Amino acid sequence: MTDSFSGATAICGLGMTELGKVYGRTASDFAVEAVQRALTDAGLAKSDLDGLLLNAGISQGIDLSLAQTLGLGRLSLLTQMQGYGSTAGQMVQYAALAVHHGLARHVACVFADAPLVEGERAGQAYGGGRARRPGLGSVLPSLGFLGPIPFYALHAQRHMDVYGTTQNQLGAVALGSRAWAQRNPQAQMRGELSLDGYHASPWVVAPFHVLDCCLVSNGAICVIVSRAERARDLARPPVYVLGVGQAHQLQWDDAVPSLAQRSSRTAFEMAGCAPSDVRQCQMYDCYTFTVLTTLEDYGFCKRGEGGPFAASGALAPGGALPTNTGGGMLSSYYMWGMTPISEAVIQARGDGGDRQQRADLIAVSGNGGIFNHHATLVLSPHARS
Amino acid sequence: MDASERAAPYFAAAARGVLALQRCAACGTAVFPLRERCAQCGSKELRWSESRGAGRVFAHGRLERSSLPEHAGKLPLTLLLVDLDDGPRIPARLAAGAPAVRAGDRVELGFESAGDGTPLPVFRAVPA
Repeated sequence: MTDSFSGATAICGLGMTELGKVYGRTASDFAVEAVQRALTDAGLAKSDLDGLLLNAGISQGIDLSLAQTLGLGRLSLLTQMQGYGSTAGQMVQYAALAVHHGLARHVACVFADAPLVEGERAGQAYGGGRARRPGLGSVLPSLGFLGPIPFYALHAQRHMDVYGTTQNQLGAVALGSRAWAQRNPQAQMRGELSLDGYHASPWVVAPFHVLDCCLVSNGAICVIVSRAERARDLARPPVYVLGVGQAHQLQWDDAVPSLAQRSSRTAFEMAGCAPSDVRQCQMYDCYTFTVLTTLEDYGFCKRGEGGPFAASGALAPGGALPTNTGGGMLSSYYMWGMTPISEAVIQARGDGGDRQQRADLIAVSGNGGIFNHHATLVLSPHARS
Repeated sequence: MDASERAAPYFAAAARGVLALQRCAACGTAVFPLRERCAQCGSKELRWSESRGAGRVFAHGRLERSSLPEHAGKLPLTLLLVDLDDGPRIPARLAAGAPAVRAGDRVELGFESAGDGTPLPVFRAVPA
């Protein structure tokens, strides 16, 4: 099945709403707009859509009733999915499998979230203030483990202890993203950022400054997945799904192959490519650190060498492996796994404008939980020969 | 049994400075936090047992900001993830005033009291 599946499906539509500090709209309203935009982009009518996969963000503002809101009365495929940051990649995978095998013709995959409230701090959305819980539930917050940031920060510090990764190397990831964001008109954070500015950013949980952590954003992104031969007849160039993979584990494990290694190997093998064939990466940068570990696990550098790799400028504009060319979730917008996927589609189509890079083969990652869930996509503007 | 009742043996042991874990009566696997079944073999026969409280630092980090009033005036606090010799990886803190630790350091358990009296597992380095 692997050979015939690789390149047999494609992303044919992309819909993005206004993203970031967009107030006064519900997640459902964003989702409807994103689906409509994706349909228009693909040149499809609403009646063509027979599959809908959806992923509600932290605000849990969309559910299966979105089908009713959209007036989709005759769907062959409909479900709400949850794999945290790996969900978007998973949605594309299940959509591709479904259209490949004829369960549906055109499947919309949509993420929507609206956690930002005007006048409230962004951190409130993700585990900042949390109600006390009974029993052992009170121990974790009392210790100071509030939300996901402490867990990721501690894993980053372990990487520093074990491999000698430095604060400047984490900073290099943040600076690279910012430099890309300055070329993306939709990015939330477009101001100049220097290494001094990075170091001056307040600590959250050391080794993470505020600028090591992704943004919080309102908005929605939708992609539509179809069989390649159908996609070729539509309005925009198909973005072929050459490889897909997932991996899940209970906690970080130093053993090789790791979580992201397993996921990416499956995807690269399916795509019939090696990391050295990849021209650009769209990595799930919930934190600067996850970019380093994902690059290592995907095989772009050895384990422990992600820091020097980033500090060499490889990821930034002009670098050898352009990464998160839209500014990523660190500087542009946080639409969970749809941030890297949408940028991959933009790049594969050649729509990147000032930030357009070679895009023949794009590796896309999504990670969820605390290194619990991972999804990989290998996307390309070229069908497999 | 509500969450507080289920956790009562943990808090009773903590008051004596001991970390209580559930252990599967069928296969011996340590179970923490509280679960209904052993994830290893599926048995529902879980019994409370005492950890020796020895382990190794998996990771550490420095909490510099918190929205909880109980952390006001106490920051920064050093957070730890510790791999217990006889149990799983647990979240904890470095004991107040204890010297800094690194990943891989041997540590031993104690308890400190949160503002509301909740006993918190803390570790300090074992003298070499």
